[in-house]
Amino acid sequence: MKRKIVEFFEERIPLRSIEEHMKKPLPRHINWMFSLGAMALFLLVLQAATGAFLAIYYSPSPDHAYNSLTYIRNEVPFGNFIRGLHHWGASALVIVVFLHLLRVVIYDSYKAPRELTWLVGVLLLLVVLGFGFTGYLLPWDQKAYWATVVGAKIASTVPIIGDAVGKILRGGEEVGAVTLARFYAIHTIWLPWIVFGLVGLHLLLVRHLGSSGLPKNSPEDMDTGKPFYPNQLFEDGVAILILFSVLVAMALVVPVPTEEIADPTDASYDPRPEWYFLFLFQLLKYFEGPLEVFGTFVIPTVAILLLFLVPFLSRKERLPIRKRPVALTITSLSVLSLVSLTILGIRSPKLNSTATAAPETEQTEAPSSAGTEVFDFRLEEGD
Amino acid sequence: MNLHADKAESSPRRSFVKASLFFIGGLINTVIAVPLLGFAILPALRNKPRKFVVLGIVDLLKGSRYKKVNYTFQSKDGWVKTNKKRSVYVTDTGNGNFVVFSRVCSHLNCLVRWEESKRQFLCPCHGGVFDEEGDVVEGPPPKALERLPVKVEDGVLYVKET
Repeated sequence: MKRKIVEFFEERIPLRSIEEHMKKPLPRHINWMFSLGAMALFLLVLQAATGAFLAIYYSPSPDHAYNSLTYIRNEVPFGNFIRGLHHWGASALVIVVFLHLLRVVIYDSYKAPRELTWLVGVLLLLVVLGFGFTGYLLPWDQKAYWATVVGAKIASTVPIIGDAVGKILRGGEEVGAVTLARFYAIHTIWLPWIVFGLVGLHLLLVRHLGSSGLPKNSPEDMDTGKPFYPNQLFEDGVAILILFSVLVAMALVVPVPTEEIADPTDASYDPRPEWYFLFLFQLLKYFEGPLEVFGTFVIPTVAILLLFLVPFLSRKERLPIRKRPVALTITSLSVLSLVSLTILGIRSPKLNSTATAAPETEQTEAPSSAGTEVFDFRLEEGD
Repeated sequence: MNLHADKAESSPRRSFVKASLFFIGGLINTVIAVPLLGFAILPALRNKPRKFVVLGIVDLLKGSRYKKVNYTFQSKDGWVKTNKKRSVYVTDTGNGNFVVFSRVCSHLNCLVRWEESKRQFLCPCHGGVFDEEGDVVEGPPPKALERLPVKVEDGVLYVKET
């Protein structure tokens, strides 16, 4: 019976050929860092799965978004767990993608003929950050609202076309219902399709060009290592299991930080972005007045362009990182800057803790200052 | 009909087929791309006329000094008719005149706070500081705090919609 079933499929699908592909040997001496790509892929699939289910209850409108999330957290069975997985999974994805990039740099894997794989990889990094930026508006809480207000204004500082870019991003002049709807569309439809295509291309290139192996690998080493299936896949599986266990533990134990519903007039809120954008938040403080555009546009753009150009800047043969002083210096400095800016961003003092709150309260209580909240007449907008 | 009649790479028929293929692809893409782009982008670029909206009753704002006032006005946000919330600092400059500072930081749109002890506006995000005139003292903001256009009519203070 089993034989007949196998035969049925063998006549219709190139099973043998697929099996050969799966069993193709990898280069020798490959270590655990070569599982980072598989871990990133796993996280993308996990995000897609948890996201698809969160979308069942989520409502992308300012009137309902926050409450729909409260409903998911408090009333839907496993709601907190699935939301937690999606939330912490996003952070894990940023970390894993970054480590994956570092591995490629350390082992000089981006060099010919793998330039295109690198380019697609950088695009994927940007898409992952795009997922982050569009995703954390969706809860429509204070962090969400203010990060988007600031993010859209950052886009507005692009020379010449900035104002239009900001408006297109927001869907108008301010962050509101239109913004939430388009961020939801981008987060759940546009970016997933883009990621699907890019990941496909990335994998196709990896498969076509073969794993890069280590710089020390001789040509004979390149296809005499362990087979992809089952050995490498087993190691990937172990790495993924460890990663998944950490995420499950976090989703169960660490509550997702919850904030008040978005309020464009809240006086006491100190806006801070998600941790993986804190480096940018901190960087923006150092450029004053007319230099502002350096922090918001010039430096990030140049950094991204340089990242794209990396494989074309050096045409030499592959070497271990310790024999590439320039690459080692630039990489170390970049990582050091990102980490220190992030730490400075975390420690950045908040206004809340200063005396600011007191005078405001006094003013509200002063006799002359009954706030206009008491007046209930409003201008009707003529339609 | 012989399907293999035009094997030569450069035969006129082959060129025509290739050109037609690109034409069909280009046509379909253009016809769909232009409306799609307009659909996504054009509504976002519309400039809404700004009207004066009620900020508060003049009598109750008399003597205000950097008083934080929250007000709401009805407006449309896309397809939603909504009560927009705004927050400003109002100062009575005498003779029925008021200065209304927008709280939106000129750097990246966070809300500044008036700090009475320092007589400065502080931004909670990237460290911008403005003096009591709304001019930049330190930090990244590229220009002064916006003073919203105001008018007083029948004892009511109106402010230009933002």
